[in-house]
Amino acid sequence: MMKRFLTVTVLMIQGAFSGVGAQETSVGADDSRFFTQKIAPLLTSQCLPCHSHAAGKMEGGLTLDSRSGWVEGGDRGAAVIPGSPENSLVIQAVQRDDPDFQMPPERPLSEDQIELLVEWVARGAPDPRTTEPAHGRPDPTDWWSLRPLTRPDVPSNGRGAVHDHPIDAFVRQQSDARGLVSVPRADRLTLVRRLYFDLHGLPPTPAEAEAFCSDPDPLAWEKLVDRLLDSERYGERWARHWLDTIHFADSHGCEHDVFRPHAWRFRDYVITSLNRDKPWARFIREQLAADYFYPDESGLTPALGFIAAGPLELSRAGTAPVTFVYLDRDDMVMQTMAAFASTTANCARCHDHKFDPITQQDYYALQAVFAGVGKGDVEFDADPAVAAERRRWRSLRDDAVAGRATVLLASEWDKVVNAWEHTAREQQDVWVSLVPASYLSSDGAVLQKLDDSSLRASGPRPDKDTYTITAPVSLSSLSSLSALRLDVLTDESLPMNGPGRQDNGNLHLTEFEAQLFAAENPEPVRLVFRQATADWNQDGWTISHALDGDAATAWGIFPKVGESHSAVFELQEPLPLPAASHLVVVLKQLHGGGHLIGRLKLYATDSAGAEVEILPQAVQQTLAVARETRTEQQQISLAAYVLKRHAETQLAGLPKPQTVYAASDEYSHGKKLEAPMEPAVVHVLDRGDIDKPGEVAVPGALSALNFRPARFQPGDTDQEAARRAALADWLADPDNPLTWRSVVNRVWSYHFGRGLCETPNDFGRMGGVPSHPELLDWLAVWFRDDAQGSLKQLHRLILTSATWQQASRQRVAQEQPLIQGQPLTQGQRAAVAPESAAMPSGVVGSTQVDPQTVDPQTVDRENRWLWRMNRRRLDAESYRDAVLQICGRLDLTMGGPGVRHFSTTQGRQTTPELDYESYDWSHPDAARRSIYRVVWRGIPDPFMDAMDFPDLGLMPSGRGFSVSALQALTLFNNTFVLHHSQHLATTLESEYATAEEQVGQACRLIFLREPRAAEHVMLVEYMQQHGLAATCRVLFNSNEFLFVD
Amino acid sequence: MSHSRRDLLWNIGGGFGGLVAAQMLGAEVLADDAARPRPEWNGGLHHPARVRRVIQLFMTGGASPMDTFDYKPELQRLHGQKLGPKEKPEGFTAPAGAIMKSPFEFRQYGESGRWVSSVFPHMAQEVDQMAFLMAMVSKTNVHGPATYMMNSGFLLPGFPCMGAWISYGLGNLTDNLPTFVVLPDAKGLPYNQRGPFSAGFLPAVHQGTVVNAVAGQPVPDLFAKDKYGFATRAADRDGFALLGRLNAGHASERQDDSRLDARIRSYELAAKMQLSAPEAFDLTAETAATQAAYGLDGPRTQDFGRRCLLARRLVERGTRFVQVWSGPQGATENWDNHGSIPKELPPIAASVDQPATALLRDLKARGLSDDTLLIWTTEFGRTPFAQGGDGRDHNGGSFVTWLAGAGVNAGTSYGRSDDWGYQAVEGKTYCYDFHATVLHLLGIDHKRLVYRQNGIDRRLTDVHGHVVREILS
Repeated sequence: MMKRFLTVTVLMIQGAFSGVGAQETSVGADDSRFFTQKIAPLLTSQCLPCHSHAAGKMEGGLTLDSRSGWVEGGDRGAAVIPGSPENSLVIQAVQRDDPDFQMPPERPLSEDQIELLVEWVARGAPDPRTTEPAHGRPDPTDWWSLRPLTRPDVPSNGRGAVHDHPIDAFVRQQSDARGLVSVPRADRLTLVRRLYFDLHGLPPTPAEAEAFCSDPDPLAWEKLVDRLLDSERYGERWARHWLDTIHFADSHGCEHDVFRPHAWRFRDYVITSLNRDKPWARFIREQLAADYFYPDESGLTPALGFIAAGPLELSRAGTAPVTFVYLDRDDMVMQTMAAFASTTANCARCHDHKFDPITQQDYYALQAVFAGVGKGDVEFDADPAVAAERRRWRSLRDDAVAGRATVLLASEWDKVVNAWEHTAREQQDVWVSLVPASYLSSDGAVLQKLDDSSLRASGPRPDKDTYTITAPVSLSSLSSLSALRLDVLTDESLPMNGPGRQDNGNLHLTEFEAQLFAAENPEPVRLVFRQATADWNQDGWTISHALDGDAATAWGIFPKVGESHSAVFELQEPLPLPAASHLVVVLKQLHGGGHLIGRLKLYATDSAGAEVEILPQAVQQTLAVARETRTEQQQISLAAYVLKRHAETQLAGLPKPQTVYAASDEYSHGKKLEAPMEPAVVHVLDRGDIDKPGEVAVPGALSALNFRPARFQPGDTDQEAARRAALADWLADPDNPLTWRSVVNRVWSYHFGRGLCETPNDFGRMGGVPSHPELLDWLAVWFRDDAQGSLKQLHRLILTSATWQQASRQRVAQEQPLIQGQPLTQGQRAAVAPESAAMPSGVVGSTQVDPQTVDPQTVDRENRWLWRMNRRRLDAESYRDAVLQICGRLDLTMGGPGVRHFSTTQGRQTTPELDYESYDWSHPDAARRSIYRVVWRGIPDPFMDAMDFPDLGLMPSGRGFSVSALQALTLFNNTFVLHHSQHLATTLESEYATAEEQVGQACRLIFLREPRAAEHVMLVEYMQQHGLAATCRVLFNSNEFLFVD
Repeated sequence: MSHSRRDLLWNIGGGFGGLVAAQMLGAEVLADDAARPRPEWNGGLHHPARVRRVIQLFMTGGASPMDTFDYKPELQRLHGQKLGPKEKPEGFTAPAGAIMKSPFEFRQYGESGRWVSSVFPHMAQEVDQMAFLMAMVSKTNVHGPATYMMNSGFLLPGFPCMGAWISYGLGNLTDNLPTFVVLPDAKGLPYNQRGPFSAGFLPAVHQGTVVNAVAGQPVPDLFAKDKYGFATRAADRDGFALLGRLNAGHASERQDDSRLDARIRSYELAAKMQLSAPEAFDLTAETAATQAAYGLDGPRTQDFGRRCLLARRLVERGTRFVQVWSGPQGATENWDNHGSIPKELPPIAASVDQPATALLRDLKARGLSDDTLLIWTTEFGRTPFAQGGDGRDHNGGSFVTWLAGAGVNAGTSYGRSDDWGYQAVEGKTYCYDFHATVLHLLGIDHKRLVYRQNGIDRRLTDVHGHVVREILS
């Protein structure tokens, strides 16, 4: 691969100057000759190996294979300033005056060469090259993954009527051309084990394996495939593939690796979607914009967890917010484009993608799609009926707040408003005055108790003050405590008659706090308030600020000075009142500027709800006017008050909403915002630098593809969700050349261990080229059109191919005698192919080309041409789940909050400490399937890690395969393996009497076969010395268990 | 997967094991693989190596340059003046305060005449052994991204750290110990938890093995826990043998698959590691004098001292890369001295000063410094402006790193910050240049140590990096 690449590179570098010649028009003939003869060879040999499209390198973002390359320049700016050698970076670099900037890096140019370049620049840098390298081709979209999708013809097998399975026909065409002979079908036991691990991530039980091996039905295989696809174990297994792909985890990652307690709902959404075989286009639309496409299906909200799957850099969100939002959106763009379209769009963050037709404008257009979303907890109602109710009452509440007459005065609400007025009139005074026993000013004001038990402040007026007031509360007047009331009263002694001490009569109550002291209990009870209401709130200074614990916010009453006001603070729960209780009320007034309360009175009550709430002044005034004579404004203010309360009561009565960590229009990690975010303005950043914002980006996708407008229509994208919807439509478009190839290639890679294109996240020019492009295209069209985006149909198609059912061994079976030095004949191959006759589709082993004397190991060691099946090692989850099942303790409970295979303790910052090592594997939750475990992004489970569970900081390109002594030690000594070795041993010992039987059953469970005689002896011998648990440990470490043939 | 064969070779046990595997797999396997360490180049990959092993001391939190090695008399003159940026710069935790002079006395040391403050009395004695990068720069002022950057060259998670790249490129020197060992502060992990030791998208085998220096078990899962009584040492030994026989039988029917052989080999190496690792981690074998030199008897120095001593024992026995962290994440008990430079810096500096100096001397005395590189570094510097009294805020504009040992031109320095120590002005050295230099010493061309991931040829140095030859001998 590498060698071939290099050869191509050299050819293309030489070809880079082929445009020089007849076309030159703007460059004089002398200059042109000078360039062609002197400069071009110099560039070719010295510069282009690191600065050209053909070489696949653009060090420093610079290419020199075209005029535009040096005009545009690289990361440092334009490389050549024609006529000005001293200001040209190319000259500075080759002159090597700056130790940090020396080119070529290893070997300096000769003096002559430098002089030539200086002369060239001094001449005005004549460059007659007229052809743009344009990624080595005239049309940037002329690339396998970007060409329109068409359905290729299935190759004929040349044998007339016999119809091959289409997959086999395409594969055979390639292998035949290379003289590679397919390996026959694997035996039934191998197949059933392979299929269970493939579709379920679990082995078959010995009974399940036996049932298939002895099933005489000619359609036994098809039946088995269907049955496994119908099982919910399928969704659990395949969800993990998707969660890997989109780097989903249950915590933020990065410095503040905080848990996301609600992320799991997205995991359950994926499992359910796969089990229900949701069509792919719909799967795309739901995950990007379920809220837009399916507003009536509120239960789909968890789908939006897709957008929030990646990491979150909380530390940067706090101290470097501008960088943060660009990088957070970068993650969303990268994930969406790689997962659905196998495109690395983020390569264009700093400059146009050098190899793929993705402009920098395209990249920021994609950022603009996500400009209104952050990651955070989102509430939703799984039941659409409840969601509709909630929408209805929220809308009424909003109308009430906005005072919309058409809604509020509509006849449908008359009854509600009248009924409220009726009860309000009958209400009695429920408030008991509190008589202060002591009262203190923290900053030197004089508080004086008046005859009506109110307190008046006089004397020095400090900047800030805190009043601490103690009053007895007695059982005789109150049965319990449910709310407190604060009246701020006018007084002639105060400026503007008060009620505040500030010159303008205003006051600011920063915090309202209260504690209850009971005689028998030395510990006071701190009162927890549910809400606060006031008859009047200054704009931006609402009474709720007196409960928010924020010293920077407060309640105010301006401009309604010169009149008294009331505020009521309702407790979360009514508090029982012990005998001889004292209430301590603390009024913090920390705004400064003498914004202090001038006169106040406190009350308490044991009533709750409507009775205690303070009526706004406007409502009180309205009630004082006879109904018939009220103005429309008075009617509105009354209806608004009543209907807001009504809506809130109705909302409180609805079932609690569920929560999912998903795309959110509130950044839960930043400032809590009162209103939904408007889409932020995204600028095209010059070289990706946040200090160099350029033009404003318009939401859109890749402009080089023209199956659909690549810039979304302005009118449609004002609404935030519409932007995401437009991208979803762009991706899910039947004519999108990337999407359908992307998904079938992914599915193929999970079935074969490797995609037809080996880079599932990148179909660009830096990625792989498909081994079987016609097959890939055929599958993409078939999946889109025939299967209508059904993954289960695609699985069925692949799994019933002879290609998938081949054996993984090169030599079919060791037991079969090989004819020394001669390849097998067709007949011999058929003979050694177990059950090939039983296969309804794809008659394996009978190729049309005579087997040639090619050694597949020499011609195609990597099995690119699929002449055999790839043997695969169990991934981390399959290993764990298989062990649990073999031990008979696999718990198939589905869904719900994640299971933690660790305990947590408080960490030094927001990230907790995780202890995996002392986890107790006998805990019932430990037996759940691995898909349900909590995946902590930055603190991985060491066992899963050793088994190549990927780092989910970035998007992994697949599961790796590693082998090391440390991995061996983990498999040998990790508590999970040891615990279950012991567990299995205990079970076997209770069920079987002799060592032979116990070991035999262990082999049946773990290998799905009888032990061979010699093996049996060895195992029993070991067991007699070290016990059955130690024996099970060895079996759980064996390659036979860890690999799937 | 085109990288799988290469991975296999270096994974089973890297260098030595790799050679064994190579023979096992047949020479043709190697023919089309990328470069591999060459004995005639002292194990270098692309050119002769000066260094074969590395110990990196990492000061978590951002060690203040102008209070340690970057002497700035101008700060004394301007002390108390409000000359900093008016608006809070991106990445500062608070608006800039007034200029603040260092509360510590500076003196010149050694023939090189390097200025060192009073917080490092021990290191000051050895400045002639060190080469200083005086103008290191970070692209960020935020701990998390900056810690990633100094370890992996990227601001974001998911990228392999330098130790992982070295393990990937060079494999190991011994089968008996992990190739890349991380010794975190006993008080906790650094910023980003295990992120700074991740193998990222490289195979998991290259990630740092995190060793708790005070725990009984040096390597995770080296032995079974006591409560699993059946897993005796004898059961281990015979179990490895039995497993080998079972696996050999299995592989004999599947001779085309080198992964099976690699796994067989991995258990053989595991058995070896069980035999040799405990000895490597046993500090009681060291003399009382050595233990005292590293500060194992001092309450302040014993944690870092123990880990420095362990680092020496590990590299001595063939561990390729050891990272020793000073300070946990957070803003206390580490180098993140927002609250007060005079109160917070001296204790953390003292915890490192004597042990690091002892390590440097010990490496030299034992001849290990002939092929071992010792690095002292941090994720960024601190502001010349005061924060909330006499603390200092984060500053990626300039910070100091020193190197000592093989290939280093001792007594030299490179780069200069401005008169306040606020921004680097000469010889700016990014993590890319630092990493390129370390790789260069190891015989690796940083531009040629490449791994293709999702369509991008990834390097430790991204698309940047210059070897800082000025500090190399």
